[in-house]
Amino acid sequence: MSSKSTDPALIDLLRKLNRNMELVSKKLDKLIEVQRSASGQMIRHPVAVPEDSPLDVTTLLSLPDHLRKSALALANLGEATATDMSKETGRVRAVESDYLNQLVAMGLIKKKRKGRDVYFYVET
Amino acid sequence: MSKTLAFHSYKGGTGKTSLVVNLGALYAKQGANVCLLDYDFRAPSLNVLFKRKPEFWLNDYLEGKCGIVDTLVDEAERFKLPGKLWVGFSNPSLESLKDIMSKDRRWEVKALTRTLAGKKEIIEKKGVDYLIFDTSPGAQYSSINALAGADLVSLVMKADEFDLEGTKELSKGVYEALGRKSGVILNKIPMEQIAASGGAEKFGKQIEADVGLPLVGMIPCMCELMAAGGKVIYTIEKPDHAFSKSVAQIAESLKKM
Repeated sequence: MSSKSTDPALIDLLRKLNRNMELVSKKLDKLIEVQRSASGQMIRHPVAVPEDSPLDVTTLLSLPDHLRKSALALANLGEATATDMSKETGRVRAVESDYLNQLVAMGLIKKKRKGRDVYFYVET
Repeated sequence: MSKTLAFHSYKGGTGKTSLVVNLGALYAKQGANVCLLDYDFRAPSLNVLFKRKPEFWLNDYLEGKCGIVDTLVDEAERFKLPGKLWVGFSNPSLESLKDIMSKDRRWEVKALTRTLAGKKEIIEKKGVDYLIFDTSPGAQYSSINALAGADLVSLVMKADEFDLEGTKELSKGVYEALGRKSGVILNKIPMEQIAASGGAEKFGKQIEADVGLPLVGMIPCMCELMAAGGKVIYTIEKPDHAFSKSVAQIAESLKKM
């Protein structure tokens, strides 16, 4: 190891840079969420889940936080519209609808139409 | 308002079942309506302590053979408790143990949704104040299903390195991921270990810092408890015992969380 790499001032600088990078990353995540909410655009999540995987707890644990919250809330409700779900998760309806559709696209949950409403559910 | 508690651990033998039974009995003794569910399907224990062979087991409920309320047996009258003490037992037969190990992921989805629905039904139909899950140690399907249904997860651990490292992993990988409020209960702590750490308070703070979870309570190691394991409910039969007092302190802490 070189002497530079153990320089305390350099390590301190790298730590500060790392903290700043984490802050930037968090802010970017927030911006993406706001953008999704505004456009209602569906963005497929990069997490690789085998097609038509059942929504068991190991799959739940492997999901990113925002999708896990929706999946767990839906497992709790059994069957729900995006409006029901937004009440459960405290997120705006458009965002919740986007996340639910991502879960549908991943094959983890299903959706069906009843009259004018679309219901999401966990197939058992 | 009802509260759903789950007791979990990284390793076996940390004292979850004794704690669950004594805590449930204490709440019922204080007049609350309590329901204990034995979600340790790989090593059922509550049937031994309560000496019961119910008409329906929790296994039957998860299979869709009965309603969850059909599995519950009220133990309050037997112990003359002012509140209710409902208990749902899991089947200890070898056939059931083999059966639970052979389940596929589809079945586990059904088990998760039935666990969550069962929780709601018990709270609504039985007016339960405290629903308490006793779970299998480690990251077992049935345990994580129970944790997903809980409002508050108590991690019961002994203060050794095996438990400490595993508990940290569980905290990061499971409890945080499920977004459940969690706390640590230290059990079977040798008095020498507390003294060597500079006293109970310092020792507790050190564990909180190591695990990254708040401390709910501490129970010192008591040899007589091991000898009486599965036979005595201390909070009912020996309320002045040091173990009962530790459980009472934990009960109060959990009420506030």
